[in-house]
Amino acid sequence: MKKKTDNNKIDQHNEVEVWKGKYLRALADYQNLDRRAREEKDEIRKYAAMHILERIIPVVDTLTHVQKHIKDPGFDLAYKELWAVLHEQGVEHISVQGKPFDPHQMECIEVIDGEENIAVEEVLPGYTLHGKVVRVAQVKVGKIKNNPISE
Amino acid sequence: MSKIIGIDLGTTNSCVAVMEGGVPKVIHSSEGRNVFPSVVDPIKNIVGDVAKRQIIINPKSTVYSVKRLMGRKFKDASVQTDQKLLPYIVKAGKNDMAVVEVEGRQFTPQEISAKVLGKIKSDAEHYLGEPVTQAVITVPAYFDDSQRQATKQAGEIAGLEVLRIINEPTASALAYGLDKKNAHTIAVYDLGGGTFDISILELGDGVYEVKATNGDTHLGGDDFDKVILDYFAEEFKKENSVDLRKDPQALQRLRDAAEKAKIELSSSMETEINLPFITQGKNGPLHFVMKMTRAKLEALVGDLIAKTIEPVKKCLTDSKLTAKDIDEVVMVGGMTRMPKVVSIVKEFFGKDPNQSVNPDEVVAIGAAVQAGVLSGDVKDVVLLDVTPLTLGVETLGGVSTPLIQRNTTVPTSKSEIFSTAADNQTSVEINILQGERPMATDNKSLGRFILSGIPPAPRGIPQVEVMFDIDASGILNVTAKDKATGKAANIKITSSTGLSKEEVEKMRQEAEAHATEDMEKKEKIEAKNKAENTMYVAEKTLKDIGDKVKAEDKTAVQEKIKAVKAILDTGSKEELETKTSELSDVLQKVGAAAYQTPGTGDTAGAGAGKPGEEPKTEEKKDDKKVEEGEVVS
Repeated sequence: MKKKTDNNKIDQHNEVEVWKGKYLRALADYQNLDRRAREEKDEIRKYAAMHILERIIPVVDTLTHVQKHIKDPGFDLAYKELWAVLHEQGVEHISVQGKPFDPHQMECIEVIDGEENIAVEEVLPGYTLHGKVVRVAQVKVGKIKNNPISE
Repeated sequence: MSKIIGIDLGTTNSCVAVMEGGVPKVIHSSEGRNVFPSVVDPIKNIVGDVAKRQIIINPKSTVYSVKRLMGRKFKDASVQTDQKLLPYIVKAGKNDMAVVEVEGRQFTPQEISAKVLGKIKSDAEHYLGEPVTQAVITVPAYFDDSQRQATKQAGEIAGLEVLRIINEPTASALAYGLDKKNAHTIAVYDLGGGTFDISILELGDGVYEVKATNGDTHLGGDDFDKVILDYFAEEFKKENSVDLRKDPQALQRLRDAAEKAKIELSSSMETEINLPFITQGKNGPLHFVMKMTRAKLEALVGDLIAKTIEPVKKCLTDSKLTAKDIDEVVMVGGMTRMPKVVSIVKEFFGKDPNQSVNPDEVVAIGAAVQAGVLSGDVKDVVLLDVTPLTLGVETLGGVSTPLIQRNTTVPTSKSEIFSTAADNQTSVEINILQGERPMATDNKSLGRFILSGIPPAPRGIPQVEVMFDIDASGILNVTAKDKATGKAANIKITSSTGLSKEEVEKMRQEAEAHATEDMEKKEKIEAKNKAENTMYVAEKTLKDIGDKVKAEDKTAVQEKIKAVKAILDTGSKEELETKTSELSDVLQKVGAAAYQTPGTGDTAGAGAGKPGEEPKTEEKKDDKKVEEGEVVS
C-alpha cells in the first residue's frame, strides 16, 4: 500500500516538473518575443523608408543615366529636386572612388588595371539611409598588371 | 535551458531555424535575410553576402560550394570533376582528403564550413539573446559516414555540439509534420540553387528511412537563370549587334534581370524587362526592352525541368515502387516555386505536392523541429484556443466597453478600473457582454451581477476594478472589486467560447453591416456623456466657488448649462459637442477668475445625488490616467 502512494507522489511530482518546465520555456519565449518586438519597432520606425527606397533606387539609376545623356534644363531641375528630397530623408551616396575596396559597402564586378585593391571606378552608385546600407555600390577594383600573384 | 538550433548547411545557401512557442521560426541573418550564401574567404575571415561581393577580386581565395568536397578523398571522381569547375585550388591533404589551398595555406572543408556555422551561431545568439551551443545539422541523404563525420566536425570547430545529423529529405518531411500524419511513403523533390536531389523515404517505427536517392549534382536554379540570360543576350544581339555578355556591367544587370523575370513569371503570366542605358552603341546609348510571357519561359527551360524526371524514375525503380505508391510529395528548394515545375511533379505523381512551407526554409525548419524534439520542447503540439468574440461590460449610456478583444489567445486575463455614474451610488451592476457591436443591447449578455456596499461618494470617485479571466478550458470568471473596501463579487460563465461557428460568423457579419450606424450611435452617446459630465462639473463648481464669481459670469455659466440640458436627450452629436464646449469655455473663465480673487478656503461638497437612479458603471475619466491591462495576480 505504502509503495503505491509513493509512486503516485513521484508521478505527480514528475508531472509538475514537466509542466513547470513547459511554463518556464513558454515564459522565456514570451519575454524574448517582447524584447524583440520592441527592438523591431524601433528599427521599423527608423528604417521605414528602406523598403520603398530599395524599389526606387533602380529608378534613380535610370534617371541618372538620362541626366548624363540628355541635356535639358528642366530635367536637371527635376533631378536636383529629387535629390534634395532624398538627402533630406537621410539618403546619402556611398563615396567609393579611390577608396580601398570594402565588401560591406561595395561589390566588385570587374578587376581592371589600377591601384591594388582600390575601387578605381564606380559602376553603380551605392546608397545609405541613416547610415544603413540600402544598396552596395558596384565598382571596378584595381590590380597591378604583371603582379607576380601566387598560383 | 538554451535552445538547440536547426541548421540547413547548403551547397549554395544556408539557413537556420529554432523552435519558439512551439512553432519553428527562421532566424534572419545579420543582413536581414532568411538565407545567406555559403561563401567564405578564410584569409579575410568574411562569410556570406559580404564574401560573395569580392569573389571577382579574389576568385582563388573565396571558397564556395565546399559541401561538394566535404568528407571526400581527393581522388574521388566527383572531386576531380568539380575541381575543374571551381576557381580555387583543391588539393590532397592529410589522409588524401580533399582540401582547399588559399594563399599557400590549407583548409579542410570542415574548417571552411565551420566559418559558415560560426556566422549562423552568432546570428542565432544575437536573435535569441543567449548563448547557443547545440545544433542539429542536415546533410544530403546520400552522404556517407565520412561526409557525416566531417559535417559534425565542422560544427565542433564552430563551437557547436552537433546533437544529431539528419537527412535533408527527412527534415522536409518533419517540417510538414508528415510523420504525425502517418504518411508511409514520401518523395522529396529538391531543386535548389545548384543541385537536384530526389529521395524516397519510408516511415518505419515513427522514423523515416531512406529507401533510395538520385539526382543531378549540377542542375539547379543557376542553370535556369543562365538559359534566360542567354536568350536575352541573343535577342539583343540580333537587334543591336552587340553581345551584352561581353560587358561585365551589362552582364551583371542582365543576370539580375533574368532572375527577376524568372521570379515574376511564377506569379504573373507576363513580365516586362526594362534596362535603360544598358550599354553604349555606335550612335549613343542602347536600351534593353523586352516582354516575356510565362509560356516563353516554360519553353526555354522545358528541357531543364525534363532532366529531373529521369532521376525520379530511377529512384522509384531502386525503391521497387511506382509513382502510385507515394503517399506524399514534398517540394524543396527555390526553383520549386515555378508553376511548371509543380505541374510536372503533380502530373508525374498524380497528386498535389506539399508546398505551403517556404521551399528555401523547409529543411532548416525540419531541423528545428528535430531540435525541438531533442530538447523536449515538442512532445505534442499545444494548440491554444482564441476567444471568437469580443468580451466586455456595459457602461454609461448602454455602451459596450470591450475588455478582451476577439481572437485573443486564451488563457488570458485583463482588468480595468470603472466608477459610478451617479453621486452616492453604492452599488454597480456588471453586465457581461459578448459581441462586436458598440451598443450593449446589440450584443449577447452572458450574465450579470451586482457589487454593492460601495461607500457613498461623488460620481466618478469610487474605483471598481473589473477583472476578466478566461482559463484554458474557456471558462470566464468576472470579478468586481471595490478598491476602497476590498469588497468583491464575481460570476463564473462556462459558455464564453461556446457559440457555434455559424453564430460567431453571423455576429461578425452583423457587426460589419451595422458598423457605420453603430459608430454614430456610440459617438452620440459619448457626446451625451461628456455633456452630462461637463454640466455636473459646472454645477458643482458654481456651488463650491459661487461666492467668488462675478454675477454676470455666474449667469453666463447657468445659461450655458441650461442650453446643454435642453438638448441633452434630443440634440445631435454636433449640437451636443458645440454646446458642451461653449459651457466648458465659460466655465474655464470662471475658474481662472476664482484664482484671481483672494481665497477664503474652498468648500468641499458632495454634489446633489440622484440615489434613485439605476446603478450603472461609468468609465473613469479624470486626470489620473487609469492603467489599462492590469494583470491581477
